[in-house]
Amino acid sequence: MSFDTVIIGAGVNGLVTAAFLARAGRKVLVLERGDRVGGCARTTELVPGFRCPTLAHVASIDPAIVRALDLTQHGLRIIRPDADVCAPTAGDRALVLWRDRARAAQEIRGFSASDAERYPRFLASFSRIAAVLRGVCESIPPSIDEPNAADLFGLLKTGRAFRGLGKADAYRMLRWMPMSVADLADEWFESEPLRSVIAAGGILGSFLGPRSSGSAALLLLLGAGEGQPLANGWFAAGGPGALADALAAAARRAGAEIRTLSDIASINVTGETATGVTLTTGEVISARTVISNADPKRTLLGLVGATHLGPEFVRRMQNLRSHGTLAKVNYAVDALPRFTSLRFRQASEQAAALSGRIRLASGVDTIERAFDAAKYGGFAEEPWIELTIPSITDPALAPPGRHVVSAYVQYAPYHLRGSNWDSERDRLGDVATQTIARYAPGFESSIVGREVVTPLDLERSYGLTGGHIFHGELALDQFFVTRPLLGWARYATPIENLFLCGSGTHPGTGLDGRSGALAARQALKAAARSKP
Amino acid sequence: PEIIRDLDLPRHGLEILPLDGTFTPMPNGDHLWRVNDHARTQREIRRHSTLDAEAYDEYGKAMVEMARFVKPILDMTPPDPMSLDPRGLMKLAFLGKRFRALADLDRYNQVQLMTMSAVDFLDQWFETDVLKATMSASGIIGTFLGVRSPGTAYVLLHHYMGEIDGAFRSWGFARGGTGAISNAIAAAAKEAGVEIRTEAAVARITVANGEASGVVLTNGDELQASLVLSSVDPNLTFLKFMDAKDLPDDFVADVRRYKFRGSSGKVNLALDGLPNFTCMPGDGPHLRGAISISPSVDYMERAYDQAKYGEFSRRPYMDMVIPTLTDPSIAPPGKHIMSCFVQYAPYKLANGTWDEQREAFGDAVIDTIAEYAPNIRDLILHRQVLTPLDIERDFGLTEGNIFQGELSLEQLFFARPLPGWAQYKTPIRNLWMCGSATHPGGGIMGAPARNCVMKILGNK
Repeated sequence: MSFDTVIIGAGVNGLVTAAFLARAGRKVLVLERGDRVGGCARTTELVPGFRCPTLAHVASIDPAIVRALDLTQHGLRIIRPDADVCAPTAGDRALVLWRDRARAAQEIRGFSASDAERYPRFLASFSRIAAVLRGVCESIPPSIDEPNAADLFGLLKTGRAFRGLGKADAYRMLRWMPMSVADLADEWFESEPLRSVIAAGGILGSFLGPRSSGSAALLLLLGAGEGQPLANGWFAAGGPGALADALAAAARRAGAEIRTLSDIASINVTGETATGVTLTTGEVISARTVISNADPKRTLLGLVGATHLGPEFVRRMQNLRSHGTLAKVNYAVDALPRFTSLRFRQASEQAAALSGRIRLASGVDTIERAFDAAKYGGFAEEPWIELTIPSITDPALAPPGRHVVSAYVQYAPYHLRGSNWDSERDRLGDVATQTIARYAPGFESSIVGREVVTPLDLERSYGLTGGHIFHGELALDQFFVTRPLLGWARYATPIENLFLCGSGTHPGTGLDGRSGALAARQALKAAARSKP
Repeated sequence: PEIIRDLDLPRHGLEILPLDGTFTPMPNGDHLWRVNDHARTQREIRRHSTLDAEAYDEYGKAMVEMARFVKPILDMTPPDPMSLDPRGLMKLAFLGKRFRALADLDRYNQVQLMTMSAVDFLDQWFETDVLKATMSASGIIGTFLGVRSPGTAYVLLHHYMGEIDGAFRSWGFARGGTGAISNAIAAAAKEAGVEIRTEAAVARITVANGEASGVVLTNGDELQASLVLSSVDPNLTFLKFMDAKDLPDDFVADVRRYKFRGSSGKVNLALDGLPNFTCMPGDGPHLRGAISISPSVDYMERAYDQAKYGEFSRRPYMDMVIPTLTDPSIAPPGKHIMSCFVQYAPYKLANGTWDEQREAFGDAVIDTIAEYAPNIRDLILHRQVLTPLDIERDFGLTEGNIFQGELSLEQLFFARPLPGWAQYKTPIRNLWMCGSATHPGGGIMGAPARNCVMKILGNK
């Protein structure tokens, strides 16, 4: 078999790349080792009748991609919950940040008048700064050695956007990027629930605590897409798997072929050029271009192999930081969790408050202590937890009156000291359950099904090296021109005709599809150049 | 070193006695002892790991390259990214050009150094835990960061700054104690015609119409001057010595936001003899260099963890020297002074005050030393404990920060001390800043003042 382009992995970014290339007239084949498309965007049946987001619980794909690929035509239905974030506390009051900002400010006033007054100003500043960063996230990192006209133009544009911020915001941006998210939250706000909700945005999936320098940069990056610091992204009706299905439909409509249950054994390299792939079945598929949605380590050190790469490149690739910290616990429950701190609200308001992300507001120090445990290869008794209950806005996911609860549980370090995840998996699940039950008593007895996905499972079942959800730490030393490596930030690799398109490349912000879209652009450019 | 040359300090009585090596005792009875003699250090590291012995050479070379790259940045007045001043833009272009001129490997190292944590960076080079721990210590000294906090790798470089001159390491003892350095500089200044008055505490800086015109002393004396340079920190300069209403509101807000966060204390011991380290008993050259209590990366990080929540480290990181071994003139015969730099001691305690906790802190230090040199308890003739609060009270360093403000990434280069005010200027005409709170910060003695003076004289 022979194709123009073979794409390894049908994750969100792989499908985006496939759709764009197919639309440009390429003959594209996507090979997926699992039994369905989506990668980290998947919905599976946890127990009969309960369908739950298996991994990622929000779909935050770039709206420009939704439009460009007509995803709504291909079955994507976007749900925007009324609440951005609900922060239940151990006390009597929860902080609910409604999507309606005036209503959110009102909630904040219940905790602190000064916070309520500062909140709109913070959001305004954040969104202006995020807009500059969004420009960066939507452009291909420049080449340092041979910058071309487009690179210079891009830099100029970013420079102008930066200066256009005006002094106050421009200096803020420079200060914020290397700061810790705890310091940033402290500078603006005094109420603990608001601080911990904001701090949580700077640690997601990372080996950073809220007091680690650079965590504010992560908050900005993850918030760049929508220009706001809280809970970016929306839900897809049918769960994240429905987003993957819409992407696959768009790719197929454009002519791409997608094969599941096709595991790659190796990327074939002749000389220094990729010529195709060999499947674990022995089947060889040749292609002029190979694009990998797998993470950089797995692609280059695993599928290509160190023998084809220079020793210095191999050393740097090995040093790419990718120690995952995020675990996933999914629950099927027979009743909506009843949070103590919401009990004075009416039932309908309770449900609305819980319709977005729920970040257990344990306090910045508690999050930091959970991180402390991870530094020494353990996990804390009170982890940081973010929940969603997608069945509130999408009742089809569970039988009537019942719900699915999806929990991000952090920190669960990939490397456990003196133990391993196969023996600690259930204990992590128990710790998560107990923590949730502290805020919502009775939760433990409502559980009818539970699934725990540890970083080890993320590596084994979904091919994420180190179980890192972003395919490599999203930190100042692995961002933009240094993602995944300095000198290799433009989707190309040392192997001719082999490209990367996953979250391990710029901007790397997970399931927003931007990496895939930019990779498609670069692959097309490269092909245009190589044509006689 | 440049300042030592420019001001001809040796002629003014400064004699630097190089600090030979760093001795790190370990709880398991082993030790790591690095000395200036390269071959011996190699052998010592090889005892722990042959790979690390090789890497140590490579590492040293790479760091010298990096230090060479960074040196001109430390010597320049930082540009203001928001100003349209062509000189500033040229400086940015100059930095970009220099970066592009670096070899690929050096670029890679440089980017990592500027952004990573000391431990993440060292992890890529070495496998021996104690070696990484003791090397990472230089990344955290005087900061409220841990060895695993991003941004600490950069400070590792400062250790190599002295070496690029080829002359000697910039870290050493001054004969007669560190006071001798100040005395030599003062002598040089006096010779150049400077008048120095001691016991002349400033009460405020006189400002009229946005212009500084002199200072008023606490004794009521008024001194007129056409230029006022402040080498104290921004908190004292702007919030104590001036009236906030003379300054723009947002400037005052920025000064209030400037982070000090003192994190270290000092314990000075007068000893009746020498400490006897279990892992290397008796007197010997290992006591003549720095003695570092940094037995493992986890030890260092745990010391930081306690400080994050407002407690001093029960088992702190320490850097100890016994200057009397090199310079017996400062103690009676047979007696010794041991000076211990101790981290972490957070200025803000979660419980109690430093006045209440001072002795407990001193005890924790002694307990820690005793784990490695049990005879220490019997030797102590006198102990002086300096907490961050004492450092603030006695030395005018806000929150006891020895660098006049946290050396974290957001307070460096064009943001030191404040974004937009990194060029030694202040909103007040004729008032300048020249202390450690300005670029390039503390630890490189005299550099901020030198840059400031060059700026005033119009040379930069």
